[in-house]
Amino acid sequence: MAEKYDLQEREVWDGNFAASQALRQAQVDVVAAYPITPSTPIVENYGSYVANGYIDGEFVMVESEHAAMSGCVGASAAGGRVSTATSSQGFALMTEVLYQASGMRLPIVLNVVNRALASPLNVRGDHADMYLGRDSGWIQLDAFNAQEAYDLALCAFRIGEHHDVRLPVMVHQDGFITSHTAQNVYPLPDEVAYNFVGDFKPVDDMLDFSRPVTYGAQTEEDWHFEHKARQHKALMDSRPIIDGVFADFEKVSGRKYNRVESYDMEDAEVAIVALGTTVETARVAAKELRAEEGIKAGVVAIRCFRPFPFDMVRDSLENVKSVAVLDRSSPGGAMGAFFNEVSAALYTTPNRPLVTNFIYGLGGRDFSISEAKRIFKEQKAHADAGHITTDIQQFSGLRGPHLGFFQTKRG
Amino acid sequence: MQDLNLLANDNRGQTDLGNSSSLVGWDEVTQGTILQSFEGDATGIAQKKAEERSYSNFNSYTATVASWRVKKPVFNIDVCIDCQNCWVWCPDSSILSRDKQMLGIDYDHCKGCEVCVEVCPTNPKSLLMFSEYTPLDEALSQWPEKKKKEEK
Amino acid sequence: MTEIRWHSRAGQGAVSGAKGLGDVVATTGKEVQAFALYGSAKRGAALRAYNRIDDEQIFNHAKFMNPDYVLVIDPALAYTDNIVENEADHTQYIITTHLSKEELIEGIPSLKGKEDRVYTVDCVQISLDTIGRSVPNAPMLGAFVKISGMFELDYFLENMRRVLSKFPQKIIDGNMAAITRAYNEVK
Repeated sequence: MAEKYDLQEREVWDGNFAASQALRQAQVDVVAAYPITPSTPIVENYGSYVANGYIDGEFVMVESEHAAMSGCVGASAAGGRVSTATSSQGFALMTEVLYQASGMRLPIVLNVVNRALASPLNVRGDHADMYLGRDSGWIQLDAFNAQEAYDLALCAFRIGEHHDVRLPVMVHQDGFITSHTAQNVYPLPDEVAYNFVGDFKPVDDMLDFSRPVTYGAQTEEDWHFEHKARQHKALMDSRPIIDGVFADFEKVSGRKYNRVESYDMEDAEVAIVALGTTVETARVAAKELRAEEGIKAGVVAIRCFRPFPFDMVRDSLENVKSVAVLDRSSPGGAMGAFFNEVSAALYTTPNRPLVTNFIYGLGGRDFSISEAKRIFKEQKAHADAGHITTDIQQFSGLRGPHLGFFQTKRG
Repeated sequence: MQDLNLLANDNRGQTDLGNSSSLVGWDEVTQGTILQSFEGDATGIAQKKAEERSYSNFNSYTATVASWRVKKPVFNIDVCIDCQNCWVWCPDSSILSRDKQMLGIDYDHCKGCEVCVEVCPTNPKSLLMFSEYTPLDEALSQWPEKKKKEEK
Repeated sequence: MTEIRWHSRAGQGAVSGAKGLGDVVATTGKEVQAFALYGSAKRGAALRAYNRIDDEQIFNHAKFMNPDYVLVIDPALAYTDNIVENEADHTQYIITTHLSKEELIEGIPSLKGKEDRVYTVDCVQISLDTIGRSVPNAPMLGAFVKISGMFELDYFLENMRRVLSKFPQKIIDGNMAAITRAYNEVK
């Protein structure tokens, strides 16, 4: 039996430590990892928990992130509870195997500490790696602070391992801003956390010698499409199960999560839609603007990036007049991907709010309360004019001349 | 002369590989394309002989590629020295052997590649290629004599 | 909300100091944030660490702040780094130096006129004397406790002892001595 870890009711943890504690409490069997900044402490801590007897598990050192995810695929197919962590370039190298994991329906939990993709080389947080995973067939949950990195990692095991889901889950947190920021975290006692996650009940495990199975079959045009369709359906069908796991988590923790989070949206006229720590900074800005200038500002945040909550995004924003969608990833010659998805949802509403796109925070560029307020005020100007008065896509917090693209035809 | 169903159970080679009649819709495909090799409890299957195993329909054992062949290898037990060279080299596990005794060919899975003939060391060879439609007894009746050293 | 900015060099323990402070503050029931901006920084590179302390959960994740306290734990950074960046008119400075306050301000024009908000303490010498090497973070905590009046010294020492519990007794004793001495010497 594992050693008892000394845990306080209130801890001061950074996001990395919080995530690693979730792996300990879930008693993860195997972590195959190739550490990379800023996610390193997650797997490093897991290794120390194993070495010090807090977990009866296996830390597998490998030669690359490609091998790390491959090791996770093997261990998960064998029938173990499996997790790892990565960031940025490591995530990029893992990408090929991410598709293998989801295609084989292996409930691996990947803690992604979001970091910019080179070049130029950068260790700080943006969402380039998160976006790189968005078509990989994984469930993607997004934490906005260290507490949530812990909470959602526990939820991730429950969701992914659910027999009606059987999909790998990423838990995202912002590099440095969450991963290296210590804050009050209120962990669950070990027994409560483990009982919430539950015993791992494998499906199609390769080490079941009474039922040998083949993993990684080849399918050509006669079968491939059906298998990918079934996988997509499983992702879509995971939505109510995620809701159920969040509801159960509230019962044990008192903390309620939703696939789409809405803050000050009841009467909001203008809104910011964002991911990660920006959500919380924007919440402060919205509150202050309401008090200072009477602008009815609100924030909508995507907790579950995949499966994308198309209907919930629409429901939360359809009565707003102007929406700013904030993409923290270089869009590479298009509108921000997040903007496109939110816009598509809003296009199917009767009122079709005005939607603008901000590219911001690349490579860890600071996002301040005052910048959030400026963006809210710009939305207010659009709302008052009845049309978008600026470029539809703009860069926020960028040095140099104004950079923006495309104008509305509705004005 | 070899029994064509040598060491076979009932479902060996029962379907043509690629037969489109087995296609099903997205709602019926297996989760994760994970394929079960055997029907029922397969505990101890490694100790069972092939003809005793309950191969599932996903197992290639139940499919046949016999129709892919143009020429077939024929086995002559009178010449064979049981060296197992053909068994080692056959890319389709189609050499049937028991207790290191060569018994014949699995004609459901042999594609006629001729590797077994190539690696056979006896004189004359114990495996030779014949056209697909040549009956086994006729093939055996045409077997060549031992070649003398100087004729090489 | 109380906001603190640390100016330090990588290796001097500003990050540990900020986290240790956060840890102790959290035991009083307050919400804390402790973070630092570094990454590829090598030992000796200038870095900044930050604390936020509030009664409510802290949602602001920006690095931008108008600090209430600026803690400088490297003597040279007081001169070379912009320690008054984004200051408020009440910002208090605690600076490690072997100089007198007058001598220090004489060399740093941006501190002129703020004499009543500048405090000095020689964290480097104190840590050399008490811990045996230059780790100026612990003495700075002692000075901060004194200047901020946030805690009683004994309460702070008791909680720091718990934060440091994984270290050998000698290190813990050294840190306690360093905190106490800086508490008494800051001026």
